[in-house]
Amino acid sequence: MQFLAYMRIALCTGLAIGMIALPICHPSAVAPLSAQTPVNHDAQVLADFNDRVKGYLALRDKVDGDAPPLEPTRDPGKIEAAQKTLAALIRNARAGAKQGDIFAPEIEKTLRALLRPEVKGAAGAQAKAEILDVKPMVELKVNAEYPSAEPVSTVPPTVLQALPPLPKDAGLEYRFVRKHMILLDTRANLIVDYLLNAIP
Amino acid sequence: MQSIRRSRRAFPLAIAALLSVTVFGAQQLTLPNQKDSVHFAVIGDSGTGGSDQAQVAQRLTAIHATFPFDIVLMMGDNLYGGNAERDYVRKFETPYQTLLDANVKFYAALGNHDDATEVMYKPFNMNGKKYYTFKPGNASVRFFALDSNYMDKEQLAWLEKELAGSQSDWKIVFFHHPLYSSGATHGSTPALRDQIEPLFVKYGVDAVFSGHDHFYERLKPQKGIYYWVSGGAGKLRKGDIRSTGMTEKGFDQGYHFMLVELTPKTLYFQTISDKGVTIDSGALPRRDPQTRK
Repeated sequence: MQFLAYMRIALCTGLAIGMIALPICHPSAVAPLSAQTPVNHDAQVLADFNDRVKGYLALRDKVDGDAPPLEPTRDPGKIEAAQKTLAALIRNARAGAKQGDIFAPEIEKTLRALLRPEVKGAAGAQAKAEILDVKPMVELKVNAEYPSAEPVSTVPPTVLQALPPLPKDAGLEYRFVRKHMILLDTRANLIVDYLLNAIP
Repeated sequence: MQSIRRSRRAFPLAIAALLSVTVFGAQQLTLPNQKDSVHFAVIGDSGTGGSDQAQVAQRLTAIHATFPFDIVLMMGDNLYGGNAERDYVRKFETPYQTLLDANVKFYAALGNHDDATEVMYKPFNMNGKKYYTFKPGNASVRFFALDSNYMDKEQLAWLEKELAGSQSDWKIVFFHHPLYSSGATHGSTPALRDQIEPLFVKYGVDAVFSGHDHFYERLKPQKGIYYWVSGGAGKLRKGDIRSTGMTEKGFDQGYHFMLVELTPKTLYFQTISDKGVTIDSGALPRRDPQTRK
């Protein structure tokens, strides 16, 4: 038994060294895009995702200048007005936006692969249960308002650690509407994009 | 004749005494109410705007006259069903107006029914942040408000930095989703607990307050930390406490709020129902941060 355990460790170590060495030694170290390793492919997909998110934020920043500034205030009317105005300006600026603009097909595949181990099987049962603890009724529609009467799902830390990080303090969050994942702009309370059946 | 007269005089006095026991005695303070200690109140899942929230708010306001707390911790679900201007007025400003006028400061955590823009509402004292920390006056107490809806890497890193940097004797953490709860509807949140409880233990957190489950539960200390679920200041889920073996004291038959007093060595607490009845109270020693004993 002990021998088998040693063999397993040796095999894994060998594979790991081989994986590190391969790109350096192999003649195709600078491979064409189509022949890139899955790791490079995923990195490229995630870079594409980051660019799309940045694109959305750039658009929001652009229109934000026309919205009332959202600063801490005693007047809740100002908070409401700032949120609604910003949402209207974003809707107008990306009137043609559709599902998949952020979660494009390749990005969608990668996100699903990242999510799956965190919410599937016995290991993912707790996280899945915490996400599905509340069951909001929300019509999934790009640019739609997240209904203020509906609760938002909690997103467990393990799930957030698996997903690509969103820009700091940008007011963008991953949330779940039952089994579907949405990208929510919390400043405008607006659904930026969604991914159907993200939780298997 | 004289004895009859005496008994006639005594009767109204007896009625008055009985009334005072029923009306005031039920809400009698069990806390030491020392002048130099930290006084605060806890309300959770309060923001319905309904008559039950109003009744709890009236009790809380009434007791402020005898137990002058400066702080109210809000466990989240501060505004149910919307975040329009009228919601802030009906579900927060009106029920707590007297306390707000008395300069009592409310510190809110976000619940799963709250809009993220509540952080911009000054009377919630969040200063634009979903998670934050504050220290009342010169007391050796630090409070940490967390966003349990969205515990990302940044928040975890922030929490570790702030807990590690705090020299306060008392470290009190509050947030919406309970790490431990006997609630049949929601219950504990182990996935969240796995990430933040090790930090609480490592950096000597003393007490944790949460809401989400609509009842009162004081848990048996877990890893040397005192835990409460206080989610019944506006919502109630009757009979929702399951038998889990974790409960020290539970109450799921009425609405409630909590009063807490911190002296350098002891946490005193009293939990009062919407009917003015004390449903739990006690004195808990501050544990040695090294040994947790």
